[in-house]
Amino acid sequence: MKNLWNVKRIAILGSTALALAAVVAIPSTASAAPLCDGKFPVQSCVGATSDGAPFVMQVPANFNGTVYLWSHGYRYNVDIPAAIPGIGGYKITNTPEPGPVVGGDTSVIKYLLGKGFAVMGSGFARQGWNADSGVATDEELITTFESKFPTTTHVIAWGASLGGFITQTLAEKDAAALSAAGPLCVASPTVEAELQMAGDFLWGLKTFFDPSIKAGNYSAGAAGYAEAMGDLGKVFTVLGKLQANIASGAWPDTAPASIHATGLDQIPSRSALLLLGLMAGIPTQSAHFDSTTGPGSPNSAAYTSFAAAASPALAILENGATAAALAVLVTYDVEQQSGGAIFDNTKTDYSARVASESTIFNAGLSGATATAGLLGYLAQAPRATANPAALTKMRSLAQWTGQVNVPTVAMTGVADPVTPAGDLTYLAQQYAKQWETAHKATLGKGRPPYNLIALFGLTPAHYTTFTAAGLPITTTPAANGTNHCNFNVKQYIAVADLLATASATGKDLAGGALYTTVRKMGGTTRDVKFAPALPKFYAAD
Amino acid sequence: MGLVATAALIVNALPAHAMNLYKQDGVTSSTITLGITSPLTGAAAPGYNKVPYAMQAYFNYVNDNGGVNGRKIKLIIKDDAYNPVLAKSVTNDLVLQNKVLAIVGSLGTAENEATTRFINDHGVPRLFVNTGYSGFADATKYPTTYTVLPSYVMEAKIMGQYLQDNFAGKSVAIIYQDDDFGADALKGFATAGTKFVVKIPYASGSQADPTVVGKWISGLAQAKPDVTIMFGVSSATAAALGGAYKAGFKTQWLLGSVGGDGTTIATVAGPTAVGLLYGAIGASFLPAPTDVSDPYVAQFQAINTQYNAGVAFDNNVLQGMNTAMLTVEALRAAGSNLTRASLLKAIAKSGSTFASAGFAPLGYSATSHVGYNGYWFGTYGPTGAIKPNGGTYTLYTTDSGAGAVVKTTSKRPALPAKGLPNN
Repeated sequence: MKNLWNVKRIAILGSTALALAAVVAIPSTASAAPLCDGKFPVQSCVGATSDGAPFVMQVPANFNGTVYLWSHGYRYNVDIPAAIPGIGGYKITNTPEPGPVVGGDTSVIKYLLGKGFAVMGSGFARQGWNADSGVATDEELITTFESKFPTTTHVIAWGASLGGFITQTLAEKDAAALSAAGPLCVASPTVEAELQMAGDFLWGLKTFFDPSIKAGNYSAGAAGYAEAMGDLGKVFTVLGKLQANIASGAWPDTAPASIHATGLDQIPSRSALLLLGLMAGIPTQSAHFDSTTGPGSPNSAAYTSFAAAASPALAILENGATAAALAVLVTYDVEQQSGGAIFDNTKTDYSARVASESTIFNAGLSGATATAGLLGYLAQAPRATANPAALTKMRSLAQWTGQVNVPTVAMTGVADPVTPAGDLTYLAQQYAKQWETAHKATLGKGRPPYNLIALFGLTPAHYTTFTAAGLPITTTPAANGTNHCNFNVKQYIAVADLLATASATGKDLAGGALYTTVRKMGGTTRDVKFAPALPKFYAAD
Repeated sequence: MGLVATAALIVNALPAHAMNLYKQDGVTSSTITLGITSPLTGAAAPGYNKVPYAMQAYFNYVNDNGGVNGRKIKLIIKDDAYNPVLAKSVTNDLVLQNKVLAIVGSLGTAENEATTRFINDHGVPRLFVNTGYSGFADATKYPTTYTVLPSYVMEAKIMGQYLQDNFAGKSVAIIYQDDDFGADALKGFATAGTKFVVKIPYASGSQADPTVVGKWISGLAQAKPDVTIMFGVSSATAAALGGAYKAGFKTQWLLGSVGGDGTTIATVAGPTAVGLLYGAIGASFLPAPTDVSDPYVAQFQAINTQYNAGVAFDNNVLQGMNTAMLTVEALRAAGSNLTRASLLKAIAKSGSTFASAGFAPLGYSATSHVGYNGYWFGTYGPTGAIKPNGGTYTLYTTDSGAGAVVKTTSKRPALPAKGLPNN
């Protein structure tokens, strides 16, 4: 295949980073009670909750009584050295966010303020995996806002990623405090589930490509920080080597000797990379690689083989860079909180994980024999063992169950590489059980309202583009349905509108009005039977 | 605010998903909308790209003769380029946007596997899939899927029997696609007791690489088999025959049913490549497309001339029209109150009696989603046309398990008048 693809020089890794939204400029002063600037037509108030979380509230002069409470997503709780690609140079920040900001565009917040809604959000008391404290902060923020603005009648909670997790958890715990909830690109119900995909992928990278990656069980204190940062560097380095060898299939020079001794190095390394992605549950479509398009004529061999063999591996590479960074940083974070190693794959059957996908991606995996060889190697490889006490402690952290007690509008992308679309499937499945129970309880005297709208951003059939020389282009905006929490302004506003309706009426929009709203969003389905595969934590295959 | 929300929650409302309770996607008083995914572009397109248009031609013929219970059939054709990810995407479109009643004749093992979750979740009938992977007959795992091709396990078992009957004591080699397609074949040959002097797997798509093909031929040359089985798609067959010819390697080729279409090989490898088929043995469950003495072939050729003008009639066209005829019979059997459920129920109840061109019986029942179960063997002539060995269609049948391979005398249902189902 080496003559067919021209992919050596594409820049994938440089564009990789966990989503860190920019924030709206706010006054820097913070205090226990909100300090408001009294400006017209929108006044801004700042302060800090009792746990020290700085917050911001923005309230229009024509405030209509409904406030949107935004919970931001995961922010690293350590500084990242500048040398790390993509995410290097990050400094811990607790700057509050009152709403979603799309690539620096604050249109969503302005839209809500223009309609008479207030917005608010905090920067939370601590960064990292902070769901417990995040929920407590949000609870206090609601009380503080209602005290400051007693004309408040409705509170709509929404948030993205870990913020979606916090939103859903808050809605389950304090339904009476909310009139609607919008968990967007919601993280898995537990941190253990959330880390499974990333952890499996990181373990696979270590096992196939660089045994010196520690991949968890980091030391305490400064030594652990150094180990984690070292892992980040190694992960991006090995991914860079895999990218450079996509066409040739050569293995990184850091691959263990046993790969060569067993002859597995005769299998293209891209196939091993694809297998890792499949067994971890990483989407095979990424921001720029659709697994359906190749360079040149659709009838050419290069087009077909790129689409079938190179593109899925490149998608795993693009998505996996994010997943692996997440694995290192969140694992380090949660280990520090839990007191020991938390990732455990001693009982994981990776063959079962790919029972269907090994058929679907047979060409990219270089055939069943190659796949069996790679899986056989993984089956024999040393596994990661968690510290039981640390596991217990981790499992005591906040989690959501899928109960929907207030009208809820959830949205995610089908190829989100951090919070898999299957997380929303899980939420929908859990709620469906709840609804069926409620329905049965009516004894045929009516149907309870169905109060979950699950929206999935769909990927276009084709979106990978190429230069005239056949080089894939990776500088274009991420395709719809891909990347983490990759929603545009129109989609956010549509969700905000749906939440406003739900908040005002006490039930989700349905029927033709819902269809129209979703159709206007573009690239999104509200089909109730649309159910992307559950994360591997919940369903092996 | 909490009180407001709580009070509102107890107000009854129709769930969003119940809005279409009495409306069946894909069916109106005057139309039935069906969908198909198939490779119209890409390496697998030559040959296979004729199947959906042949189906459409047959449906148009039926529409011009009154349709099905007064409804005209509309077939929406989507290109999946023989790419599972694309198949998933376009199948989503067919169901969510085009609102088809059913998917018919979708092609490819990986492509169908990729859409299974979605198809199952939505309860969409997936009828007469163009793949012989035995797994799709599992009615528990694929509750809305009906196969039509004999499984690759059956095919391999029957080939094994044929080898015993005609090439006893000869050495045998096999080149096979290294996926479920090939795994089925190996399973069937193992059941038949066939031993190989060499087994050569290849990853799907790698047949486009000349170095890969070179390794096949050198492997064969080293093993010197008397008979070589090619169990792959037509592009792989073309590559193998071409590679062997160039290398001067001679063997008795025995071609699997999906890899032996002469017109496809001509499209893939050029018109002269058809000559490479000369003397090869092939298997089929349908009559030879050149056999105009067969009433089904004659009728389908006439329809092709009128409704699919300019398209050469071959095994792909025959297969497409036969699939379309089965579809019409299934729609008729479902009755006027057509729903996805009634369609599936109708096939289970009466599908085994449907008239079709296949010589083997259809195995549909309340517990079986298996289509045909048998093959006949023939030899390719210099123009790429296959003719039955001995001048008559001798059919072997079996199952995908341990059942015996038997020569059958079963008779297929007669062609309905003018090729228009009357069930």
